[in-house]
Amino acid sequence: MGTLIGQALVNGILLGGIYAAFSAGFSLIFGVMGVVNLAHGELVMVGAFITYWIFYLFGFDPFLTIPVSFAVLFALGYLLQRFIINRVIEEPPIMSYLVTFGIHLVIANVALLWWTADFRTVTSSYSGINFSVAGLVVPCGRLATFGIALVMVGLLYCLVHKTDMGRAIQATAQDKQMARLVGIDVARVYAMTFGLGAGITGLSGSLVSTYFVIFPFMGMEYTLIAFCVVVLGGMGYIPGALIGGMILGVLQSFTATFLSAGLSMALTFVVLFAALVVRPAGIVGRGIVE
Amino acid sequence: MSKGIAMGRIDWRLHALSGAALLFLALLPRFWGSGYALRLLTLVFMWIALSGCWNLMSGYTGYIDFGPVAYFGIGCYTTAILMTRCGIPFCASIPMSALAAASIALPIGAATLRLRGAYFAIATFAFAEAMKQILLEMDRLLGIDSFGGSHGITLPLGPTNLFFYYSMFAAALATMGVTLWVEYSKFGYALRAIRQAEDTAEITGINTRAIKIRAYGTSAFLLGGIGGIYAYWITYITPQDVFSVHITVHMVIMTLLGGMGTLFGPVVGAFFLTIVEETLWARFIYAYMVLIGAIILAIVMFMPQGIMGTLKSLSRHARS
Repeated sequence: MGTLIGQALVNGILLGGIYAAFSAGFSLIFGVMGVVNLAHGELVMVGAFITYWIFYLFGFDPFLTIPVSFAVLFALGYLLQRFIINRVIEEPPIMSYLVTFGIHLVIANVALLWWTADFRTVTSSYSGINFSVAGLVVPCGRLATFGIALVMVGLLYCLVHKTDMGRAIQATAQDKQMARLVGIDVARVYAMTFGLGAGITGLSGSLVSTYFVIFPFMGMEYTLIAFCVVVLGGMGYIPGALIGGMILGVLQSFTATFLSAGLSMALTFVVLFAALVVRPAGIVGRGIVE
Repeated sequence: MSKGIAMGRIDWRLHALSGAALLFLALLPRFWGSGYALRLLTLVFMWIALSGCWNLMSGYTGYIDFGPVAYFGIGCYTTAILMTRCGIPFCASIPMSALAAASIALPIGAATLRLRGAYFAIATFAFAEAMKQILLEMDRLLGIDSFGGSHGITLPLGPTNLFFYYSMFAAALATMGVTLWVEYSKFGYALRAIRQAEDTAEITGINTRAIKIRAYGTSAFLLGGIGGIYAYWITYITPQDVFSVHITVHMVIMTLLGGMGTLFGPVVGAFFLTIVEETLWARFIYAYMVLIGAIILAIVMFMPQGIMGTLKSLSRHARS
């Protein structure tokens, strides 16, 4: 029994790492622009498919495809923000929900037309390798993924807090008008922010492809998990993604171990709903509250 | 409440026109109508009713409810279960569906309406998705066999198209009737006050929380009833179908197209979009969903004020 609990905990924490990775971008985008991106899961999906195709056609290791998925998704995010989302950013929030929902429909359905509804997996040579510590099994691939996720969230935090670009992003998030007055090009900052958020999300999609099956309509589920993770950690507070990811990962892992795997999605919503009602600013209370 | 806001003078011409249109639609099946045309109009009525419900809550208060489909789905399932498992007739099931939806809406509304902006939208969205997941897992969880999980429920074959034509017509009229009452009542003023400046409204003595919950509950009550009619009409429901986020998005888009917080907004939007989708769907089976996405983007980017607003500003341009 003790081993079972321990194993569920290990699985949950590893899962939490990947959750944090693909949710951090959502938190960044909301924190800076107040946009609830309903197409967030599609960014994960596109990143995952980039890895799949490079792996399938050229046999490259999934971890080597990370720069490609980052670059492609950065470009996609930048363009989406520059030409579509920036047009509605001054409008009431309902407009940005609808625009991002429209983007979700277009991307998911174009992917369906191109790639069919088949489930696909990326199985590398070292997929099955794992090691044991004190009777607990730790898969190597998942541990590497977890490590990359941690590093990525750390880098994002440094980028937002330690660089000029990051300071411009923060200034814009705090006060758009003042940022304009001191010479910041707000439209460009928005596009960069969205590009950055999309880029790290696509990169996480590459990691996801080594973890789970991928298919064109997988996006919505990831969007909803990102909602839950970000709300738990505090909307717009980037390190919160790690906290929220771990909490949700461990909860889901325990549910799958002791109740049934089918309940994990239902649990996600119940947790999300409860977190919003009880602590809208997140567990540590650092999130933005309207 | 003082008479500070001048009551918009009721335009009798508009009402006469609406009355004539209603009479025309009510008598239409008597002298014209293939089965297909009747079904299409029934669908239009359903969307008028559904969008009207969303408009009642979100259009007037400005609180963006992103999970109204939850109450539609609850209505579908209530009627389906009452009719198939308890042998209760359709006419008795509908009010029960409406009541079931409203009684779930009250506690949910009380909890979520403390949130604002994006948080309210996400919470309601989460609630609708949670309802879907709960219905999918309910049977396995409780070890019963009444909700059918992902296989859904098959209802007995209902009466003719004509019966559903009039049922949905009645649902659309009921929703519009409630909206009309809201337009000209103190309750409606309170809702609009919440949309414009909630904190100020609170200071002037409006119990904003109670008012919001009332609007949310009323909207859910109507949605539950419409869901009940839909379940019997379509005869086969699954959680994935009746709790689909697409239904929510349709309500939002139709209302936006016609104009939020107006009586005829949902009517115009529902007519327009249902007909457009019907023609597209028949022509482009595979690219249909991509087109819907593109239409949503186009509407939001180029016609943010909706059809009515765009027409008004176009005519202003033409005159100037």
